[in-house]
This record gives sequence, C-alpha cells and structure tokens, in this order.
Amino acid sequence: MGFDFNYLLEVLPNLFYAARFTLYLTLVASFFGLIIGLILAVIGYYEVKILNPLAKVYLFIMRGAPLVALLYFFYYGIASYSTFVSEMEPLNAVSIIISLTAGGFMAESIRGALLSVDEGQKDAAYSLGMTNGQLMRRVIIPQAVRIAVPSLFNNVISITKMTSLSFMLGVVDVMGSARIEGSRTFSYFEIYGGVIIVYLVLIGLLMIVQRYVAKKFSEAY
Amino acid sequence: MSQNMIEIQNLSKSFGEHQVLEDIHLKIKENEIVAIIGPSGTGKSTFLRMLNFLDEPTTGKMTVGDVTIDAENYSKKDVQQLRLQTSMVFQNYNLFKNMTALQNVMESLVTVRNVPEDEAKEIAIEQLEKVGLAERQDAYPSQLSGGQQQRVGIARALAVNPKVLLFDEPTSALDPMLVSEVLQTIKHLVETDNITMLLVTHEISFAKDIASRVLFMNEGRIAEDGTPDEILNHPEDETLQQFLNINQYN
Repeated sequence: MGFDFNYLLEVLPNLFYAARFTLYLTLVASFFGLIIGLILAVIGYYEVKILNPLAKVYLFIMRGAPLVALLYFFYYGIASYSTFVSEMEPLNAVSIIISLTAGGFMAESIRGALLSVDEGQKDAAYSLGMTNGQLMRRVIIPQAVRIAVPSLFNNVISITKMTSLSFMLGVVDVMGSARIEGSRTFSYFEIYGGVIIVYLVLIGLLMIVQRYVAKKFSEAY
Repeated sequence: MSQNMIEIQNLSKSFGEHQVLEDIHLKIKENEIVAIIGPSGTGKSTFLRMLNFLDEPTTGKMTVGDVTIDAENYSKKDVQQLRLQTSMVFQNYNLFKNMTALQNVMESLVTVRNVPEDEAKEIAIEQLEKVGLAERQDAYPSQLSGGQQQRVGIARALAVNPKVLLFDEPTSALDPMLVSEVLQTIKHLVETDNITMLLVTHEISFAKDIASRVLFMNEGRIAEDGTPDEILNHPEDETLQQFLNINQYN
C-alpha cells in the first residue's frame, strides 16, 4: 500500500475547508474565554466575598473535568431536562462548553499576571487616593497585559486543539470531516496525516502572530 | 501658625495577638518637621502608613488636616478624604512602572482630582524641576537610577499639594552613593516650602539637621518626644542612648 501522496493532496482541500469551524470555535472561545477569565481573575485578585469561593469551584471543575465529559454532560445530559439545550445546534453547544473551559485556563494566566504587579504600586495608588477600579485600569491591567500575553497565546493554541473534540457532538470540523472521509475510504494514514498538517499550519500561523505581538509589547518601558 | 495639623488619640493597632502600636497620643502642629527614629520592627512605618490608611488602626481616633477618622466606625469615603490630605514617599519608590516620570507625577491629579490634562502637565513639570529632573520627564522608571526614581516619587507626592508629607525611610533602599541626592532634595524642600512633614529615617544626622522635633519609637510606643537637641544630644532614656550609640557612631 504505502503512503498515497496524491490522495493526501486530494483530501487536504476538504480538510482545510472544514477548518473554518475550527477557526470559528477558536475565535469564539478565545473571545468569551478572555472575558470570563478576566472576570474570574479579578474576583480572585480582590478575593471578593461569596464570589471568590464560587469562582474557585468553577476553576476546579474546568481544570479537573475532561472536555469530552463536559461536552457529553452538557449536550446529552442536560438536554434531557432542558429543551433549550436539546434544540441547540451542536456548534453552539461546543462554543459554550469550550468558552467556559477556556475561561478557566485564561483566568489562571491573567491572575498570575495581575499578581506579578508588585504590592508597592498598589500602596502608591491608594495613598494618592485612587480607587480599586482606577488602580486596575491605570496601573495593574496595563502592566499585567504584557506579562499575560505569552501565556494567553499558549491558551489560544490549546483552545485550537480542544476544538478538535467538537466532532463528538457532530460538528463537521477538521476531525469530523476526516472521520467521514475515513469511513468511506479507510485511508487513515493519509487522512489523519492531513489532519495533522492542517492543525500545524493553523498553529504555525498563530505562533507568527504571537511573536509579532510579543515583540510589540516588549518595546515600551 | 500653631494650629494642629495632626491629632491622634488612643490609637492602637494589632495583627491578631501581636500588638504593633499601643495607645499612641500625638499632636503635630502645622509646618513641623518631625523625624521618627527607633529600632527596626517597632512600628515606625506602620504608624506612618496608618496616617495614610494603608494600614488600618484597630482602635482610636485620628485627625489629619480637616478629616477625622474613628478606627471603629468609618466609611470608604472617609478613607478617601483622609488620603487626600497627605501624600507619601515610599522606601521602594513605588513608581508606576508603565508610566513615564511625567505621567507618574500627573496621574493622581488627572484621575483623582480631575485637574485638566494640560494644567496637570504644567504642575508636574514644575514639580520635576523642583527635584531637578525636568529633562528626564519622558524616562520610564526602569531607565532611572534609584535616586532619580525617589526624586520622581517626591515630585509625585508634592504635586497634589498635600497638607502633610509622609516619608517612609526614603533612603533605605538606596545605594550609599545615591543617598545624598535624595537627602539634598528633601532638605531643599524643607527650606523652600512651608510644609508639615513626618519622616521615618535611620539617618540620624540628617534628622538632627532638618527636624524641628524628634520622636523615638520603641516597642509600639512613642518612648521619647522632644527637640532634636533634647533627643539626640541629651538622651535620658537608656534604650534611646543605646540606639543612638549604635547608629550615630557606626
């Protein structure tokens, strides 16, 4: 048999086309993950009453539970009690679950960055009469962003790979279309080789952006 | 002239079991330059930080400028008002690292006191000139020496025109070579501005030079309170004598 190079070239365009779902899910989950992560990180940073323990439970679940289990629990489990979930498009269900998971990862990256801004600057801001909000906006976040960017990019790379589980709910992403193609031709060697190529290209592009952004951020002060 | 700028009654602070400050009573008049000396860990810095509410007192009352706070019953707004009466220069400078020298000095004018940007800039440049750093206004803290950073810290504290200026060991973190430029800056301030100042310091001879009053703190209390001559040249208290021997003649 051997590796059929021509067949690989034949399936690659389909796989790249299917990557639009991968891109979509990555963008959506990174965006909402960032928002969720920022909220959780700020709650953790100020140790906000009541909310902080809840945030910790949330982080524990998102860190500890396998994504596949969360996807099934949500889409098949909760669906039997909620028509809202059972009537949901698989793509939306995956978007929600991956966003929630991404929020957990990103919260950790952001929290670490917030904590890296030294206490002294906090003292200075308070002594000048600045409020917590002004301290966050003017001092902590601008400095934390620089520190968080590299690890947030790593989070985005993880998210990109996480989206490959979306085929388990029936989304025809890269993995989904590979599975369909595989069940037709049984040429797993070429097909999954192609899948790997598609992901490497996507993540390679992300890494180029990462390097550019990191350079931008390291210029000032 | 002889109005009280700071009035402190029964002020105490404890961290759990540990009593850091015990029953402090103190009145400080307008334009007094008060040096606070004493062994490490006796609550000098905590006391100073409390005047700025960076550390909260456990019990007692304090008045700074026009604002009075009761440690057992105060609101966020009281704290904010109290902080606007004073400003603080820190041991580790604590400049905002994402802002230039100029932006550091302007920051609280613009965000806290709502001074228009161009006016704030004028004030900031004036203050930077006063500490001799106007030409470094666009430098970030990482591009300045420790002494320069501390001088920016002083300009930042002055810019808000505080009633009371608090110095928390302003030269302790500095390379010995850089200490004198900061002390010179402070001395210049004392000579040119009318300002009430509290200075926690280990520089005894400097305290003698500029202070109008010296407090000796020991084990969370103000153990001695008098003129520099009384406290530093004719100490009566035994602990104070020991402390001065160790510090002055080393």
